[in-house]
Amino acid sequence: MIRVENLRKRFGAVTAVDGVSFVAPDGAVTGLLGPNGAGKTTTLRMLYGLMRPDAGRIHVDDVDAVADPQGAQARLGVLPDVSGLYPRLTAREHIHYFGELQGLSGQALRARADGLLALLDMQEVADRRTAGFSHGERTKVALARALVHDPRNVLLDEPTNGLDVMSTRTVRDIIRRLRAEGRTVVFSSHVMQEVSALCDHIIVIAHGHIVARGTPDELRAQTGHQNLEDAFVALAGLAPEAVE
Amino acid sequence: MRRAIAQTLIVVRKELKDAFRDRRSIYSVLIGSLFGPVLVGFMMNAIADRQREVEDVTIPVVGMAHAPALMDWLRQQAGVTVIDGPAEPEAAVRDRKADVVVVIPEDYAKKFRASRPVELRIVSDGSRNTSRPRVQRVRSLLQRYNAEIASLRLMGRGISPAVVQPLQLQDLEVSSAQQRAAAILNFIPLFIVLAAFTGGMQIATDSTAGERERGSLEPLLVNPAPRGVIAAGKWLGAALSSMLSVFITTTLCVAMLQFIPLQDLGIRFRLGPGHVAGLLAGALPLCLLAPAIQTWLATFARSFKEAQSYMGFLIMVPMLPGVLSSVYPLASQPWMYPIPMLGHHLLLVDVLGGKAPSPLVFAASAAVTVLVAMALVRMITALLSRERIIFGR
Repeated sequence: MIRVENLRKRFGAVTAVDGVSFVAPDGAVTGLLGPNGAGKTTTLRMLYGLMRPDAGRIHVDDVDAVADPQGAQARLGVLPDVSGLYPRLTAREHIHYFGELQGLSGQALRARADGLLALLDMQEVADRRTAGFSHGERTKVALARALVHDPRNVLLDEPTNGLDVMSTRTVRDIIRRLRAEGRTVVFSSHVMQEVSALCDHIIVIAHGHIVARGTPDELRAQTGHQNLEDAFVALAGLAPEAVE
Repeated sequence: MRRAIAQTLIVVRKELKDAFRDRRSIYSVLIGSLFGPVLVGFMMNAIADRQREVEDVTIPVVGMAHAPALMDWLRQQAGVTVIDGPAEPEAAVRDRKADVVVVIPEDYAKKFRASRPVELRIVSDGSRNTSRPRVQRVRSLLQRYNAEIASLRLMGRGISPAVVQPLQLQDLEVSSAQQRAAAILNFIPLFIVLAAFTGGMQIATDSTAGERERGSLEPLLVNPAPRGVIAAGKWLGAALSSMLSVFITTTLCVAMLQFIPLQDLGIRFRLGPGHVAGLLAGALPLCLLAPAIQTWLATFARSFKEAQSYMGFLIMVPMLPGVLSSVYPLASQPWMYPIPMLGHHLLLVDVLGGKAPSPLVFAASAAVTVLVAMALVRMITALLSRERIIFGR
């Protein structure tokens, strides 16, 4: 479970995230929806401890992520916005490297890597260097290394961005599977279909504020638009004080 | 603490594995470490060859039959062979068929017996640098014969030869072969210091500026490892590569000198395992410092390209002491030894010169070097904690 209270982050004169609060419960997929530049990535970066919030509190399970980012990181599996690979290492070596940094070793690590490679249907390319991988294969490697330590909470920043149909389906299956296993999944997207297909709760962010929240049905009701995309456009344009 | 060390080693192992699958870093280690030894071997051999050539001189003589006594005397000199000269001496020299030709006139015997000067011609081409030592050697041989005969004639007339020698000239050639060879030995410290810089350069840039450019820095830092561990791992990976480079350069330079007949150059000492140990003791601490500077600069750089241009400037720093000392000979003072780069240069020069300073001096140099390296690793750690560095500027 992830609890965020009144998160705030400024870059110079720009307030990127301004008073964001939400709870992402176990066994559910929480979607952060918003146009590019709305503050989704900054919010996630604060959750996984690479950016320090100017104000606000973050709890990952029972760990205070602001005071103990490493404690939070051990409970988080993260697919950042930019997930570059090492072109000279194989897919399996990527999983092993991150697994070792997470404290896994020996047979346990090998078994876990094998399991993830099978889950992501990557056995064939497992021992190939990632230099020639397709975008879909690279995303799968990044996902596998993020999940190597079997984290209770998973943060995915635009995981299906630029993926082909088959890879998108694989990623969606993984997300559903993670939810079925009772994990907390938070994922961001600027694509409405993506969010509506997967999310139990949607948080709409615009200009650093949360402008709406609820299930897909609640959002439709709230805006009066049957089409979720129209609802999104209506919400993203809303001034923050107009909500609540 | 144990976990931090284990995590550091995980990062080191990954960086080394990654680097040694990269042709660029293999080349930079190999070229950086082999450049010095190959150049030293090449230059030493060239000097030794030329020295031998001068001593083993073949003199083409036109008109040998006119001066049998002179010919016999020449043949008795060490390394001298006399052969029949070409029919057209001047053309032969001009066409580079011969370096030098001695022409003995027909009236040699007649004038010699009458104690009148004989005109002996040495045909040479003054514009050719390569033949000059040989011409010089022929001239000095003939001058010695001249002096010997003159002395004999004076003694035959009851006069001391010293009377006609108001001056006794002695040549003190400053660029003798020995000194040229010694100058090359002085290059060895420079090559070792350069190897310390080139050896770790590729890992230092690729694992920091390269990591960010590939977009793999952010996922890496999401792992629950302290920034100090990540910084130390990247630095140590580069340092180990730098050590490998220094080790190859040092052992090969010394091994190379085993095969070159240094005694031909008049260098009496031989380099051995003791020198290798001394050189390594002086240089290995630098392998902690140089990659620390490089890793810090490359972490700070906005891009891989920018990092590489920093590396280009940085490599000139270790060359300064070597270059300056050749232009402006600096007497080594005790306070110079703990200064990184300058001290390393002096230590290595001393070891090669066979007058290694006390272990205390080595320890002082190493201590200062390691302290500066540690400070730099802390600075790298601080950089890696900055959001502007992680996410680019």
